[in-house]
Amino acid sequence: MDELTEIPQMTLEFFGINLVFNTQTILMTWVVMAALIGFGFLATKKIGFLPNPFQVVGELLVTVFQGLTLDALGEDLAKKYFPLICGLFMFLLLSNWLGIIPELSEPTKDLNTPLGLGIMGFCIAHYSGIKAKGFKAYVKGYTEPIIFLAPLNVIGEISKVISISFRLFGNIMGGAIIILVVSHLVYSLILPPALNLFFGLFVGTIQAFVFTMLTLVYISVQVN
Amino acid sequence: MAIEGADIVKAAAFIGAGLAMGFGAIGPGVGEGFAAGKACEAIGKKPEEAGLLTRTMLVGQAVSESTGIYSLVIALLLLFVV
Repeated sequence: MDELTEIPQMTLEFFGINLVFNTQTILMTWVVMAALIGFGFLATKKIGFLPNPFQVVGELLVTVFQGLTLDALGEDLAKKYFPLICGLFMFLLLSNWLGIIPELSEPTKDLNTPLGLGIMGFCIAHYSGIKAKGFKAYVKGYTEPIIFLAPLNVIGEISKVISISFRLFGNIMGGAIIILVVSHLVYSLILPPALNLFFGLFVGTIQAFVFTMLTLVYISVQVN
Repeated sequence: MAIEGADIVKAAAFIGAGLAMGFGAIGPGVGEGFAAGKACEAIGKKPEEAGLLTRTMLVGQAVSESTGIYSLVIALLLLFVV
């Protein structure tokens, strides 16, 4: 049970600042990125009328997320933000599924990954809001309905980042801990595959979709 | 073996983790059950929209689950960090 709280870290001295790297998280993120690049290469290698399996999956993803972004953002912005949304979903999906393979662990199990993605979505949403409405209208949006409520509006915006990232982190971390504890109790017999199926595939897919959809909704709220 | 202050803190953290998880699980349980019941009603009325309804229900449940997940995070913090 020692691996429950253990985080492999590497400290680097850099001009008097201690830089701490979570080595396992970084390594697993690289694995996910390599797999995604491989997938993209295989899907577009021989584009044809008779598609290979990778092309089918790629076309499915593109079709579904093009429809979703088109519904939320409209014609012009959908073309701009569709790659971000689709890429985010693919990265999160593969990250959440990675824990099924023994010896590998989900990069989303570390709070730094969801928090980084959440802050990225927050910055993109507000940047697109300023760009779409202009700075004056953007600031004026905080003083709705009266000016005294401006601090509450600011806190509401910040709490969005906390909620979106802790939701993903808690689901994946909780699932991983439950799988580990139950596996120890039953000596890794019978139950762990079913648990991996539920927490890895099912919850992982739903949480990746929810994270992506919420990022899209935050962008569309800021734009409109 | 005398009981020291650190032991009491540890015991209090474990009790707090149990309480956080127990009370925190009430809300999501009620909320997700309510959403599933409503989705069942809607599917009964319109069976041809079952796919869309199921997808919407799952996303809504995942969002309403987040309060339970917060209490899980707090419980984990109490168990492993304190």
